[in-house]
Amino acid sequence: MISKILVANRGEIALRIIRSARELGIKTVAVYSEADRRSLHALLADEKVCIGPAKASESYLNIANILSAAEITGADAVHPGYGFLAENAKFAEICETQGLTFIGPPPSIIRLMGDKNKARQAMKKAGLPILPGSDKTVDDISEARKIASKIGFPVIIKAAAGGGGKGMRICRSASQLEDQFPIAQGEAKAAFSDASLYIEKFVSGARHIEIQVCGDRKGKVTAFGERECSVQRKYQKLIEETPSPFIDEKTRKRIIKEVEEAASEVGYKSLGTFEFLVDENHKFYFMEANARVQVEHPITEMVYGINLIKAQIRIAAGEKFGFPFELEMRGHAIECRINAEDPMTFVPSPGRIDFLVLPGGEGIRVDSAAYGGWVVPPDYDSLVAKIIAYAPSRDLAIRKMRAALETTTVVGIKTNIPLHLNILSNTDFLAGNYHTQFMEEVMAARAAEEAL
Amino acid sequence: MNDKNKHPGVPEESAMSGKIDYEEIRKLVGLLEEKNLSVFELEVEGLKVKIGRNAPAPAPAAAVQAAPPAPATPESAAAAEARALAVEAAKGHHLITSPMVGTFYRAPDPSAAPFVDIGDVVKKGQTLCIIEAMKLMNEIEADVDGTVVEVYVDNARPVEYGQKLFAILPGE
Repeated sequence: MISKILVANRGEIALRIIRSARELGIKTVAVYSEADRRSLHALLADEKVCIGPAKASESYLNIANILSAAEITGADAVHPGYGFLAENAKFAEICETQGLTFIGPPPSIIRLMGDKNKARQAMKKAGLPILPGSDKTVDDISEARKIASKIGFPVIIKAAAGGGGKGMRICRSASQLEDQFPIAQGEAKAAFSDASLYIEKFVSGARHIEIQVCGDRKGKVTAFGERECSVQRKYQKLIEETPSPFIDEKTRKRIIKEVEEAASEVGYKSLGTFEFLVDENHKFYFMEANARVQVEHPITEMVYGINLIKAQIRIAAGEKFGFPFELEMRGHAIECRINAEDPMTFVPSPGRIDFLVLPGGEGIRVDSAAYGGWVVPPDYDSLVAKIIAYAPSRDLAIRKMRAALETTTVVGIKTNIPLHLNILSNTDFLAGNYHTQFMEEVMAARAAEEAL
Repeated sequence: MNDKNKHPGVPEESAMSGKIDYEEIRKLVGLLEEKNLSVFELEVEGLKVKIGRNAPAPAPAAAVQAAPPAPATPESAAAAEARALAVEAAKGHHLITSPMVGTFYRAPDPSAAPFVDIGDVVKKGQTLCIIEAMKLMNEIEADVDGTVVEVYVDNARPVEYGQKLFAILPGE
């Protein structure tokens, strides 16, 4: 039983959780920083508590204030959303010792998946293929040299505690490895206070494909059809779609089964996402698992007709939960992440939204916490809206998305909508012929055009 | 979570009423120095005072943060609160705000007398109240010498970060 959820997040995901809780008849408490006094999550929750100044380390990452907010409002559960404290095993543990239900995977799973190198080894043991690379973390350059020469260049260095592309470096030669290794160490240390690195074979022209999982209390794991997330810039996803134009039904069935087995093996509970690199031969390699709800979860919800956040809450509440019908993917869904940034330079563009018209209508879903008159604070990420188009086929979904973006109006701040429209009319994208280097190629083509 | 308890008989502060004497001008100049202001203008009942000084030291970062740009239309509860804070500051009151989220206690235990009450003279470093957070009792101290002129929160009420707790009239 859960009767009141403290939502330890902000922006669209906080709103998404508040709305789902409302549907379930559960009260919500918003926590907010001084920069978010007029943000929708603070205005729409049943109760709200200011937990600190704008700086995230003193507000949305302030465990003491968040737990005190739960105590003074009588909340009995905490939903961490994504980012901030979502993958902080210690936070999940403290919640449990305080008698608060943490709506997410158990701390042991968060801890396992948080160490990317350990997760890799555990998944290998559980039967998922991984890329050739180091078996343990690599602490010095001589060891790095040895592994690189064994697996062959190019290689990619990654931070064991990593995420978001920090501490990640591609090395195409021994001399690049010499240069990049200490830089990656420094970056990992700065970003995660942990300089541990690991090394993997780098696969050029590969796709980033991920599998949503949902594990119930009894240890039954349901995996869903893939999300294709190869349109990304500097490891930040821009457009996601499901199903992937690259994956056939046979491959899909196989990978769903493999992930279900591997996730059950490690005792996965609640929502999570298993990320894979898929090469040209449709070979899947496990990269990492994210022990939280993912930004792009709505596209899976659209093609399956489900609500993952409600499922997550009900599982956490100890309900005997099962998806109510035979799960089957229908149609095609695409999500565009609309960011407050300059579409040419990618410089963030916070500020007041003077006027806002978001799209709507049949097959369009908008997850956003933006409104006309709202000031996008400069203190947090630049995501202002997720626009999702759902249609019977990929072609129709792309058309629907284009029509939606063309009729979206944002005055006062810059957004990356022009960039999205550009991608949505790119011939390679339209042909479904793209991989993780796609955006680099698009940017290079654009630069070449400008140089003329 | 704002408990408004208005206390009658709070000494009306600053005797600016049409006249101004040397002592008061000296106080204002002192305020200018203390708050790192370059210009100060005050208009009370026909009397207008403008004091300025040259080459002010750069304002500390904290001061910049304390004065966020006034939000545009419509005036929200937050804006109204910010305005109220500005009014308090203009009256010369020093505000003690909650540094954390928790439960506010005016006394060390339920049977004891409050740490301070309206009219009490307090010294910098003196305990004003306790905020209980995560089973820990955090003593909140005065950061100026002065007289307590307002207690904004009732005993045993929850408080959020930045919520005003006391107003102190600095002096002596």
